[in-house]
This record gives sequence, structure tokens and C-alpha cells, in this order.
Amino acid sequence: MNATAAPGDSTGDIREARTTASPATGPAVDEKPVFSVRNLWKVFGPKAERVPGGPLADLPPDALRERTGCTVAVRDVSFDVRPGECFVVMGLSGSGKSTLVRCLTRLIEPTAGTIAIDGEDVGGMDKGALRDLRRHRAAMVFQHFGLLPHRTVLDNVAYGLEIQGVGKAERRAKAGEMVAKVGLAGMEGRRPGQLSGGQQQRVGLARALAADPEVLLFDEPFSALDPLIRRDMQEEVVRLHRDEGRTMVFITHDLSEALRVGDRIALMRGGRVVQCGTPEEIVGSPADDYVRDFVRDVPREQVLTVRRAMRPAHDAGEAATGPALSPATTVADAIEAVARTGCSARVVDAGRCLGVVDSTSLLGVVAGLESTPSKSTPPNSTPSMGGFEEKTAA
Amino acid sequence: MSTAGTTVTPHITPLQAVWHRPAARKLLLLAAVTAAVAPFAAARWGSGAWPHALTVDLTGPLGRANDWIIDNRDSHWLFLYFFGHISNAIVVSVRAVYVVLLALGWAGVTAGAALLSWRLAGVRAGVTALASFAVCGLLGMWVPTMRTLALMIVAVAASVAVGALLGLAAGLSDRTFRALRPVLDTMQALPAFAYLLPVVLVFGIGVAPAVLATVVYAAPPMARLTALGLRGTDKGVLEAVDSLGATARQRLLTARLPLARRELLLGVNQSIMMALSMAVIASVIGADGLGDRVYQALSTVDVGTALTAGIPIVLLAIVLDRSVGRRSAGRNGWAQSHPPGRTRTVTTWVVSIAAVVAAGRLAGTSWPSTWTLQIAAPVNRAKDWMVDHLYSGIPGIGGTADAAAHYTAWVLDPLRSGLQALPWWGALALVAALAWLIGTWRTALTATLSLAAIGVLGRWEPAMDTLSQVLAAVVVTLLLGVLVAVAAARSDRVERLLRPVLDVFQTMPQFVYLIPVVALFGVGRAPAAAAAIVYALPAVVRIVGQGLRQVDPAAMESARSLGATGGQQLRQVQFPLARPQLLLAVNQAVVLVLSVVIIGGLVGGGALGYEVVFGLAQGDLATGLMAGTAIACLGLMLDRVTQPVKAKEAN
Repeated sequence: MNATAAPGDSTGDIREARTTASPATGPAVDEKPVFSVRNLWKVFGPKAERVPGGPLADLPPDALRERTGCTVAVRDVSFDVRPGECFVVMGLSGSGKSTLVRCLTRLIEPTAGTIAIDGEDVGGMDKGALRDLRRHRAAMVFQHFGLLPHRTVLDNVAYGLEIQGVGKAERRAKAGEMVAKVGLAGMEGRRPGQLSGGQQQRVGLARALAADPEVLLFDEPFSALDPLIRRDMQEEVVRLHRDEGRTMVFITHDLSEALRVGDRIALMRGGRVVQCGTPEEIVGSPADDYVRDFVRDVPREQVLTVRRAMRPAHDAGEAATGPALSPATTVADAIEAVARTGCSARVVDAGRCLGVVDSTSLLGVVAGLESTPSKSTPPNSTPSMGGFEEKTAA
Repeated sequence: MSTAGTTVTPHITPLQAVWHRPAARKLLLLAAVTAAVAPFAAARWGSGAWPHALTVDLTGPLGRANDWIIDNRDSHWLFLYFFGHISNAIVVSVRAVYVVLLALGWAGVTAGAALLSWRLAGVRAGVTALASFAVCGLLGMWVPTMRTLALMIVAVAASVAVGALLGLAAGLSDRTFRALRPVLDTMQALPAFAYLLPVVLVFGIGVAPAVLATVVYAAPPMARLTALGLRGTDKGVLEAVDSLGATARQRLLTARLPLARRELLLGVNQSIMMALSMAVIASVIGADGLGDRVYQALSTVDVGTALTAGIPIVLLAIVLDRSVGRRSAGRNGWAQSHPPGRTRTVTTWVVSIAAVVAAGRLAGTSWPSTWTLQIAAPVNRAKDWMVDHLYSGIPGIGGTADAAAHYTAWVLDPLRSGLQALPWWGALALVAALAWLIGTWRTALTATLSLAAIGVLGRWEPAMDTLSQVLAAVVVTLLLGVLVAVAAARSDRVERLLRPVLDVFQTMPQFVYLIPVVALFGVGRAPAAAAAIVYALPAVVRIVGQGLRQVDPAAMESARSLGATGGQQLRQVQFPLARPQLLLAVNQAVVLVLSVVIIGGLVGGGALGYEVVFGLAQGDLATGLMAGTAIACLGLMLDRVTQPVKAKEAN
């Protein structure tokens, strides 16, 4: 796989948009997860249910297809989505990420494993309960928009409410609000065919928001858009996330997009999650060579924070002088501060000096030379990950 | 197979090279089978036309069935409680529509049609409708036009309803679709004449069987297009609709049906055109109206009267085609149509209907007789002049009758004798080989069995006669069609000139093509072939032209950049890339030519078509039915022989 192609259009200021997002520090870990996925499998093909857990599961994909006609799209995946976070699933095409997000609301029936939303088993829901889930609790935004070409923008946005049986006046009022919220005010009477791709996706976003769902699911929402428009839309999502604190599951194949919008990222390959962690963990401590290759071209100084660069203060003087930085400051910002003052800087959290960064340690981070930082926890042993048993992909 | 298995040397023998080509392999296999079976068959049953020993005479049983039906039509419960009700319902509804049309009066109908066309398809369509109905009245054909229209309205309503229901079932269920699709495909390939006799057998002669035959003929395109429209819905949209928690009903009503609008409208349009074409032909089994006038006139070679009734048919076809479906289902339909306020629409409609009714009541029921124009006599004089001056004796060219005679003597006759002299097993092997080369072993099997069925029915000789006419006409059609299409593809001007002509020609019912050829060539097999050629030509030109123009511009550009001449581009890039369309054109040409060659039985074409007409005229349904079945088999055979392998479809 060509990892150099993975980082997307702009590598300029990947963290810039994110650092302002409120949940960047992460919500409390012990909060009850919104989505809780355990040992999820999706196998396409005849008699798919015999594959998960059996000896067939260990076959390489080609051999499996030849012997059974089955293809494994999602392979023994477990993760939790915490309330208020933006959980990104990223991987190249064919890695199973789109199948995974469709399994969450059973647009695709999972083959094995459990999915729970707020502790409620999704797999066991009957038709009515499932419809209720799709109508009120989880709304999805699609790569190719999925708009109805014969309806106006307003009626498209109101469509979800219409399906719920909301009265015409009420749903139109609500839809009007949503159209304004995504910045399409004045275009209510147009049809999807008269809009640009970015505008169509705004309609898709407004339609998902209109139902006021607990979780928003995005399936590569901006992949079909021009780079500049994509950037706008990403900022729109970050803004929405910051303003409303809605839980999001975001599927993408674009690493820079993942780093820009994600609080946590699950990196998929061949149906498996190979690493799950914050952007800093993914970039700073890749779990294996595949991930390392993948994140190689990411400008590290814009993702990694001074936590990774700091060293203990040599003496009290060093701990008391120099500019003060918060632990969430990116290395890039720290370099600017250090370069400007010409001396080392302090990392201060709640009035306490955690350590010191100087030009040597900062350059070490940029060059990728830093020793295993103090806080680095291999992602497969992170307690909050729900007991991942990661195997390094061959 | 042994050749490929035993020689493992890298050196490839010529035989192996042949074996590696699938087409050659198929042919070799067939040749082997034929070589093994043919001597035995020839020794046992002879090598001439279909052996008598292998025929089954159905005249007796069919005649008895016919007698039984006639005897029991007024007493048996099946007729009293089932067929009788159907028949009565049809007759009553046609009469009711006719009465309403009469009550509206000529002014009401004309104004109403113009208004409706205007609303549905714009000003031009409205003006066309106004002018067309006026011409129908002027020609003194008002009453027959109304009769045909009444029959059409009932038949179209029924076929659209039946077709939409079938299409809905096939669109929503994969199994229904798989079961229905081959049936619908086959029905569309059969000539209209094949549908007439079964309904006559059950319902006798009259309006009811005419409407029923029309419905059976016109419903398949609606069903097909409805199913395709529903199945073609954008998967992404459906997924989005599902993700919002829509029920199955909401999904159908708010997404699938509206998204299939284009196909639905096209289906209605095609249903209407098929219905018109059949409603005219059904005059043979008792539908009155315009078709009946043409039929009566043609049987006495009264070209003037036939033309007087033929012009309203053409006008009706144009009006119906322009008003419904084709134009209103434009590609950008979604973007352009802004639905006006509902209340305003309702008021407009109420006001216009009131105006139409008032106009009709004021103007009177039937077209005023003083306002008519008798064109029959002048037309007949013109025709007589043509007979005197054009039929023969033109220096250099000869004349139309001479040309027809030459065509018959030099093309049709030798071809017919050749086909009839062909050993029956040879014909079977030939058909199998052709069908297998172009299609799959399934199509080959169907084709061979259909041909064998004709032999078993004892209609081998007339079928070969019909086949010779079809082949001769198809060759001419394809030659002319490809020539014209190439010209149109190379010059935008030719294409612009051609398009409206093709539009009009494609909307006309098969029946009316008989009128000019009778005027020009008299009666016989040659005029039937000429009508068939004229009828099939537009479709061929259009399909081939589309194929040539759709060729990837990048491929053309690269050919030009390599310095290819126009002819080289055509031969080496356009024709190979347009191969699917060329094959489709052959298939359509065969199907369309056959349908007219059969109708040619009405103007002296003889063979199977004549046997059907003869059976109907003499009340000898057994003969007619067997000929009708043979026609269906021939249609099936020809369609399968020319049916290219369909690319596996995603759904």
C-alpha cells in the first residue's frame, strides 16, 4: 500500500482546527459509551456465519474466497464511542470501514458480534425498534449524498421528519432552521441537481441534523468534493461538534481529515482495527510498520504536543524562567515560542511545572528521534479500549 | 478435445489454434453432432422439407375445440361468469367513452385535446393536437376517429394498469422479475398478428377481443419499463432513505416511484404507441374505426379511401406521442419543473373543462358535413396516373411495377426456392449454429426448438416463404440503414435533417405503411417487403447512428492523431466499438420486418400472414391458429438467432 498517498491535500495546519475543539482533552473515561461494539464480524458470501471464530477465519482472503466464496469485510472489531467525542474510523478503500459504520444501525446485518447503543442491544431490535433507532437516535451522512432529486432542498431536509410523521408546517419550520444552520439560507426552493457537490452535502448534513439525533454517522462525507470545499466542510463539522457536542462517528480514507476532526482514531486494515488512539498516539507511537508507513508524511510538529518533547528541569532556575506553555501546545507553537525568546520554555499545567522544552528536544520530536515519551502507552493495552487483542498485521 | 489434450508441445498446430477460438469450438462441436445425426435423420425421414411423418395434425382437435366454444358460449359457466363479464365490461366501457366523446362534440374534443397536450407537453404539442383533430374532421373521418379513440382510451387505460401492476411486482421482487422478464422480452418480439387468434377463439369477433388483444400487446412495455425503473433506483438514495428509518411503503411511495418517473412516463408512451398500432390491426377481428376503413379499402385496392383513413391514424399517433411521455420526461425534468400552487391548478382545470364542454355543446355533436374535403377521388386519380406512367416504361429505370417484379423474380423467388429446398435438418443445424455463435446455448436451443415446432405444426413451406421475404427485406434494410446512419454520423447537417423524419416514421403504426406501397407497387410480395423495409429502416438508422456517435471521442481522436483516413476510422474504430449497437440493430430489423411481412398477407404477401387472414375471413380458426402459432415460433426463432449475449446485469 502506498502510504505516502495517504495524507491528503493540506498538511499545513492539521491541528489548528482541532485544538480549539472542546473535547480535545477527552471526556471522562468512565462515562457510559454511546456505541459499544464487541467482536463484530461482517462476512459477505454464502453461509457467511460459519467463518467468524472458526478455522476458516485464519485463512488469507484469497484462499477464503476460493474455498468458500466469502469475503471478510469486518474482522473481530471492538471499540467504544464515548459521548460527545468524534470517533474517526480511517483506512484505505477495501479496509471495511464503510461496512463497519453501516453495521452500527444494521443497514448491513452484522454476521457476528454485538453492538449496543446506550447499553441497548442493537442486534436484538425488532423492525419497529430499529426504525425508531434510525429515525431518532442515529442519522447518517453519505458519501454520495443520497438526496431525492425530485424534491426541493427544503423538502429533502424535511424528509426525515416526514417519515417520522411530523406535520407539514412543523417539519418545514424545523427544516428551514437546519438549512440556515448549514449556510444554505435562500436556496430552499432549489433542487439537488442545481446545487454544487458541497452544497448538496450541506443538504445531506442538514437532513441528518433535522432529526436531532444522538449520534451522527458520517460515511466518507467529503471524499467526493473538491479539496477546497472539503476543507470548508471539515471546518463546518468541527464547528458543529464544538457548538453542539454531538457524538460523531466519522469514516474517512484521508489521514489529514482524520487528524483534523477526530478526537480518537481507529485505523483499519483488511477488516481489522490495527491501532486505536488519539491522533497524537497514532502519529507519535505507531503500533506497527503499517501505521508508521501511513503516518510518515504527517508533519509531526503540528500533531504532537510538548508532552512528548519535554524533559525534567535541570535546576530550579530553568523551571522558573522562560515562556510558559500548556501541555496541549503543539510542538510547532513551542518552537515558535522558543525561537522567539531564545531560551527554553516551561510546560505548566495548573500552575505546576511539568518539565522543560528546549530547541534540542523540540528538534528531536520533529526529526522523530524522541525516546519513548513518558506517557506513551501502547494502544493495545489502553484500558479504555475495551480489551483489544491486536495482532500486528503481517 | 483429444487434440488439445494429447499434444503438449509448445508448438501450436493449426487445429489447436482453431480450437482456442470459442466460436470455432462451437462450430466444430455442432458440425460433429450434425455429421453424426444427419445421415440417420436423412435416411429415416428424407432430406427435403419437413418430413410428413414428424408432423402432428392439429386441425381436428382445434376445430373441435372451436366448435365446442361456439356451442357453449351461451351456456357454459366459464363463459357466462368469467369471459362473458370481461367481454361485457369492455364493450360497455368502450361505448361509454364513445358516448362521452360524442357528447363533447367535435369542438369540445378538439379543444380538450389541444388543452391537454398543451398542459402536458407545451404549446407546440397543443397546436399539433388542434391541427390534427381539425384535419381528421376535414377529411370526413370524425366518427371513425372517435371510435378508434374510444377503443384506444379503454385499451390504454387497461394496459397501463395491468402493466404497472406487473411491473410493480417484478420491480419489488427478484423472483417475479426473473420469471417475468423472458416472457416480456419474448412478447415484445412477436408480431402483432400472433396475438389475434387466441382471443378470437375465446371471444369471437368484435370489439371486446380487439381491446383484449390490444391490451395483451401493449401491456408488456409498460410492465418492463416499470420494473426497470423501480429496479434502477439509485442504491445510494435508497440506502439514505433506509437510514432515516422509512417503512417499506414510505420507501416505495416517496422514493422509488418518484425516482422512476422517467421510465413510467416512457412506459405509458410506449404502451400508447403499441396500443394504437394494434387497435388498427385489430380491425381484422372486428375493431371498427379507422383501421377498419383502411382494411376495407385495401382489400379493394382503393388507395384514395385508404389514405383518407390512414392520415388520421398517423396524426393520432403523432399527437399521442408528442403529448404523453417522451418530451415531458426530459432528462432534466427535476431541475426544470416547478410545481405550481395546487389550488391554482385545480381552478385552471375546472375552468378549462367547463369551457371545453360548453364549446362542445354549442358546436354540435358531429363534424359539420359541409366542412369536409373529399380527397379519395383525386388521390385515386393520381394513383391511376401513377399506374399509367410510373409502373413501367420509364426509360432507363423501368418503373415501379417492373422493379417489384424484378425484386420478386431475382431475389424473393430464388431465396424462397433455396430455403424450401434446404434439407430440414440442415435448416435446424444452420439456425443452431447462428444462434449459438451470437448468443448462448440457451438461445440456440430455443431457436432450434421453435423452428422444429413450425415443422411439427406442418407449416414448414409457408414459414420458409415468410422467412425468405424477411431475409430479403432485412438485408436491404440493413444496407440502407447503415449507409444512412454513417452519413448521419459524419455530418451534423444530415443528422439534423433526419431527426424529425425519423421521429415521425417511428411513431406510425405498421398498418399505414401498406397504403403507399400498394399505391406504388400494386399488390404482391414485393410491396409487402417494401413496407417492411420502410417500417424497419428508421429504427435501424437510429440505433446504428447512436452506436457510431457514442464511440469514445478519445479513441477517435487517437485514431486521427495516428493519421487514419475517414474510412479507416470507420472500419477500425467506429464499427468495432459500436458492435453491440450493430447487433441490436440486426435484431430489431428482423423483429420489425417480420411484423410487417406478416401484415403483408393483407396485400398479397401470402404465406403465414395470409393464412391467418384467410382463417379469420373463412371462420376456419384451426388453420388460422396454426399459422398464428407458426408466426409466434418464427418470431421467437428469429429473435433468438439474432440475440447477442447480454452483459450480466448487476441486479
